[in-house]
Amino acid sequence: MRVQSLDLANFRNYAALHFSPPGGVCVFIGDNAQGKSNLLEALSLLATGKSFRAARESDLIRAGTPLARVAARVGTKNGDVTASCLITRVGEGARKRFVRNGRTVAYAQFLGGIAAVTFMPSDLALVSGPPALRRRFLNAALSQADRTYYRDHAAYTKIVVQKNALLKAASGVERALLSTYNQQLAAVGSQLLCARARYVQRLSLSAAEVHARWVGATPGFSIRYAPSPALPAGDASPGAALAALERALEAALPAELVRKSALVGPHRDDVEFLLAGEPLGRFGSQGQQRTAVLAVKSAEYALLAAASGEPPLLLLDDVLSELDATRQRTFMSSIADCEQVFVTATEAPDAPTLGGAHVYEIVDGRVEASAHAKTG
Amino acid sequence: MDHLAPPLTALISELEKLPTIGPKTAARLAFYLLSASKEDAEALSRAILDLKSKVRFCSRCFSLTEGDPCSICSDPRRDASLLCVVAEAKDVYAIERTMSYRGRYHVLGGLISPIEGIGIAQLKIAELTERVRKDGVAEAIIATNPNAEGESTALYLARLLAPLGVKVTRLAYGLPIGGDLDYADEVTLTRALEGRRSL
Ligand SMILES: Nc1ncnc2c1ncn2[C@@H]1O[C@H](COP(=O)(O)OP(=O)(O)OP(=O)(O)O)[C@@H](O)[C@H]1O
Ligand SMILES: [Mg+2]
Ligand SMILES: [Zn+2]
Repeated sequence: MRVQSLDLANFRNYAALHFSPPGGVCVFIGDNAQGKSNLLEALSLLATGKSFRAARESDLIRAGTPLARVAARVGTKNGDVTASCLITRVGEGARKRFVRNGRTVAYAQFLGGIAAVTFMPSDLALVSGPPALRRRFLNAALSQADRTYYRDHAAYTKIVVQKNALLKAASGVERALLSTYNQQLAAVGSQLLCARARYVQRLSLSAAEVHARWVGATPGFSIRYAPSPALPAGDASPGAALAALERALEAALPAELVRKSALVGPHRDDVEFLLAGEPLGRFGSQGQQRTAVLAVKSAEYALLAAASGEPPLLLLDDVLSELDATRQRTFMSSIADCEQVFVTATEAPDAPTLGGAHVYEIVDGRVEASAHAKTG
Repeated sequence: MDHLAPPLTALISELEKLPTIGPKTAARLAFYLLSASKEDAEALSRAILDLKSKVRFCSRCFSLTEGDPCSICSDPRRDASLLCVVAEAKDVYAIERTMSYRGRYHVLGGLISPIEGIGIAQLKIAELTERVRKDGVAEAIIATNPNAEGESTALYLARLLAPLGVKVTRLAYGLPIGGDLDYADEVTLTRALEGRRSL
């Protein structure tokens, strides 16, 4: 898919922007704090309904103004889609309204209209950060590709919250109710386990291939799913997952009653990134970790394109820094054929690295054609 | 609103407390009542007072009633072997409107939700098992909402009632009548497919 126009009003440091990006690779150059990340954040907001970094949604609204608006027209295989998000200040917080093709829609209906794969510098923590980050990555990636997964995950999360509250209940734990929650968790949780196992397997193959193309086949990169509970002999069929989860929930019962917390199930899963079979988080260099994360993102892109039948948008924030000149060039040429990519950088890469990219400069919330290279 | 007469502002602020009523609607309603006849205004205020003084819970089914037991519990034409379990009294009202149910009801008074402090003891669940045991109930129809709490509550009740030798059923999931297939969400469609029947 391809963004044909983007309109921002009082979003972050953009007072008003109307921008019609061309297809292919668009590179946005600018000094620190000019609005490069903000531009990608706006596009990502239209895909996921959420900011990729704001702790408080009211931060999205330009200081001193009451209402922010992000709107885009996107060409998709099913025709043009218009999507917009309005963020209104309400007291200390903010309220969001989603509009799709002129109609106000609920969050769940808004999702899936525009697909995007995003890289931002904080994604580097995927490799070495806590498991929760990797679960969030899996959930976001799978939810975009598979609506049933999104619903199952939402339902599962709700039941875990109820189960935890039950385990902590001052009035004591009603055992039949605990068994009821476990029954529901096993049913929905095994669906999540299967979906994640399938996804990680495909992600690993695709990422390994990309990684090999960039930096050579050895040492080989792979991704391993570490489900909770571990599946016997790695059998991730629905029946095996259900049986394993039921057994694990049963076995964890005494410990859960003592610790007053739900201890097994996909909310405790992890994913390991491995180089030559060894965990990258422990010994990988900064550049190796960055290369691995980029390979994973490329694989996410390929799988989402396959699942939805068209290439998603690719949003890459500050992706080139820390890569040496060769890796920069390899990376840029690997995205050259994407339908539409937005890349930000503080320094303009050299002309061979830029290739046929369209180059813009971002200065203080304005986007201008750049003198650097070809512009759209 | 300082410029309005105090009785008017008092009514507006009372109306604003009601669900779905914002300040504008509250003001519109208040001005309407001001222009309405004295009889209409008295009928409304009497209805509200009667609601508080005369409506209570039925001691059998815990639905809302004026006389105890309620008209449904005391109606001998109602099939006592059929018991429909709902979360709220308003659900009784919804099912009664169909005019196609001839059994009796049991109102739980909510759904199980430990996160909100609603456990088994907070609901009329002990009373439910008591009725099933004593009233010759053959089938309990669990008619809780198809959301997370409704599902958990239904599954829990099924566990609880099954050993008592009663048949436990759940309302079917389906497509809304008059709706478009392609507007139904995936989950509704999946459930409707699972619950399909032969023609
Ligand atoms: N709600 C807001 N109102 C006004 N300005 C804002 C708001 N939120 C962020 N900004 C401003 O936007 C600027 C940051 O923009 P952004 O994060 O896009 O920078 P960047 O170009 O990506 O910089 P870097 O190269 O450092 O990553 C900051 O100057 C910040 O003060
Ligand atoms: Mg930035
Ligand atoms: Zn009654």
